[in-house]
Amino acid sequence: MIDSRGSFCPGPITDLFKAYRTSQLGDVIELLATDPAAKADVTAWAQKSGNELLDIVDEPGYIRLLIKVTKKRS
Amino acid sequence: MQRVVVLGSGDGGTFTANLLASALHDEIHGGSASVQLIGEHLHHPFQPGNLDIAFKGASPDKYVKEETKLLRKEVEFVKDPAMKIDLVAKSVTTKSGKVIAYEYLVIATGAVADPSKVPGLAEGALNFHTGGKDSQRIWESLQTFQGGTVVVAIAGTPHKCPPSPNEAAFMLDELFQKRGIRDKVKIRFLTPYPRPYPAEKISHVVEPLFQEKGVEVTTFFNVESVDPVARKIYSLEGETFDYDMLIAIPPHHGADVVVNSGIGDQDGYVPTDKGTMKVKGQECVYAIGDATDIPVSKSGVVAHLQSVVVAHNIVSAIRGTRDVLEYNGRINCPMEVGERRAIFVSATYTSPPSDQTPSLVKYMMKRSFAMIYWRALNGSLERVFDVFFGQTRFPARQGGAEEPLLVVKAPSAGEKGA
Repeated sequence: MIDSRGSFCPGPITDLFKAYRTSQLGDVIELLATDPAAKADVTAWAQKSGNELLDIVDEPGYIRLLIKVTKKRS
Repeated sequence: MQRVVVLGSGDGGTFTANLLASALHDEIHGGSASVQLIGEHLHHPFQPGNLDIAFKGASPDKYVKEETKLLRKEVEFVKDPAMKIDLVAKSVTTKSGKVIAYEYLVIATGAVADPSKVPGLAEGALNFHTGGKDSQRIWESLQTFQGGTVVVAIAGTPHKCPPSPNEAAFMLDELFQKRGIRDKVKIRFLTPYPRPYPAEKISHVVEPLFQEKGVEVTTFFNVESVDPVARKIYSLEGETFDYDMLIAIPPHHGADVVVNSGIGDQDGYVPTDKGTMKVKGQECVYAIGDATDIPVSKSGVVAHLQSVVVAHNIVSAIRGTRDVLEYNGRINCPMEVGERRAIFVSATYTSPPSDQTPSLVKYMMKRSFAMIYWRALNGSLERVFDVFFGQTRFPARQGGAEEPLLVVKAPSAGEKGA
């Protein structure tokens, strides 16, 4: 789980990339963010890279994004 | 005796030491306080000058001065790299084995650009983040470059000077135009961010200019490795690009002394309160600039503005007042966009960058800063900066002193640091 709450663009997407760099295929990354831009940025990255955005949940005061690593150069 | 030790003799460390020496002038001369600056290098570079060295052929010597000439006479400069910080014993151990005790510590050890963190990057790429000599290698390589693909890639975040990759692309375009070979060169810009510049409003300026100048942008490109023989760069996401010349911004991490002392996060940055600049969990230890984990630009301006807050708060603590300032996250990064125009990436913790129009005035302001940088380090330009930057700090609590404790005295004629 990566907590990027309180961090603004590009904080959440940068934190996601750090986790992606050390992840394995099949891993699910949970990203918490307060920056509303995180939704669009993560969605765009998942679409382009071929990774799977499992869910975006609007929690009280923050957003929870679940990303499954389905594509990564190994 | 109140011993203040500043670690790191870059922009932030040098400026903080000078501010403290000025504000504590009477205490230092009375023997009740001291300011020591522990640094690794005798020479102090103006790091933004690396762009001019790499893309305009400036001499590295133009952007270097001797550290001792930048310091006020009350500052004791210890040229001996710090190897270990002991937060319990309140001491710093240097490479030569000296153990230097402190009552107050400022960690200004910066960030290290490290090409070795990406396979093939050190062998396959040039860069302007590891110093003037490496920047000069770019200029030398450009002299014999007659055409092909130049790739500018951000190979790790965060990195020093966020606008510098974009500036590199703009400066390359200008250089090749001047040489009359622009039509023979493809400039490709690879970024891990969703857009050409991470802040959306700034990207609104950069993106059309890149299109106009034919700079091809690929977003969401997280560099995985470089093959220096095949001249290919690979992303984690699975993309591959060929290059004839690769200029990459290396991944950065915190200083070895921070890592070796066990006080950094996973990337070696010091967990720091973004307002008071105190190291988290510490009462008398502060961190500033690139050394911190604060999510703002790693830049000289940020280090400078945080230095004012830290010096103020240390002086306040030494004098036993309750006057504490907090940094408001102000950043101000100039970005050249070609044709003698520039913009400023300005923001605070609560105000994102606003719309910008490139202008000659901003370009001239950026250029003039390179000339006043050395004077800025002694604190004598603070009143000018206060007007220019506007609010950069605020009292942490009600009832603080209305007049700042930190009164910067201009050095007298002939005094060091003038």
